[in-house]
Amino acid sequence: MVGGLQRLDGLRPIHVVQGEQYVTDDPEAVLTTILGSCVSACMRDPLAGVGGMNHFLLPGARPGETDSVRHGVHAMELLVNALLGRGARRERLEVKLFGGARLIKGLTDVGALNAGFAEEFVRREGLQHVGGSLRGDSGRRIQYWPGSGRARQVFLPKQAEELIAIETRTPKPAPAQTGALELF
Amino acid sequence: MPAAASISVVVVDDQQTMRSLVRTGLQQLGFKDIREAGDGEAGLRQVLTGTTHLVISDFNMPKLDGLGLLRAIRSHEPIRGTAFIMLTGRADKELVQRAVQFGVNNYLVKPFTVAQLKEKIEAVFGPLT
Repeated sequence: MVGGLQRLDGLRPIHVVQGEQYVTDDPEAVLTTILGSCVSACMRDPLAGVGGMNHFLLPGARPGETDSVRHGVHAMELLVNALLGRGARRERLEVKLFGGARLIKGLTDVGALNAGFAEEFVRREGLQHVGGSLRGDSGRRIQYWPGSGRARQVFLPKQAEELIAIETRTPKPAPAQTGALELF
Repeated sequence: MPAAASISVVVVDDQQTMRSLVRTGLQQLGFKDIREAGDGEAGLRQVLTGTTHLVISDFNMPKLDGLGLLRAIRSHEPIRGTAFIMLTGRADKELVQRAVQFGVNNYLVKPFTVAQLKEKIEAVFGPLT
């Protein structure tokens, strides 16, 4: 164990940063991420032997803001579709949700909005919410084994600015119409 | 200038959350007659059994995907004139090109705003009132 996390000797760690998702059927893979107010959904189909993780933050999240929610739905859809594309079945998907911490008091609780969105998405889509850890006021380091569905987390010291910097280190541009074809 | 309320829409997506988002956007634009389907087969049934002017469909779906639905609609004479807007992901250029071959009217890249949804619909029907 290292700092409460399992050593990854012999395994293939894959770090998932904000705005990305990763899906694998490699039984030796372990997906890792660091979360502040962002949320990661860890999903797997135990029968198909495929699983994955995303890492997202609702941009400009405000309660009920439709355009913000669209980005969250898109992040979840990318993960779900990638799993379905690798042989998973929607009705067998098991989901663990992590993150959504409130790092800075006094501002809008972006973490709670992210967490609430993720829970609502899983509920509305009828997916099996089998565990995880949401909200609180500490960042988290997550390890997820898609092969077994096992997940471990370690709470990180409350260094809000540092966590925010880590989460936003490689921000993905908003996937709008960039690169779109001009056919119409 | 067609009134949005006079256009009947079928929204086809296997994700209930996405269907709700599209429905909400359409309602904001004044659409009233909005039906939903969770896969391509159910979408085709909706189009075959009720008046439909516009289909807004995802691509990745079980049973019958968006391209299959588009092809089915274009091959059924009574419904072949139904307008069809495909919802796509960022990296689906090849899909869009295939959809164009099958007669798609427009496409919308996710995630999209209500303004973008309006723009795509107006590109097919003209300015909405």
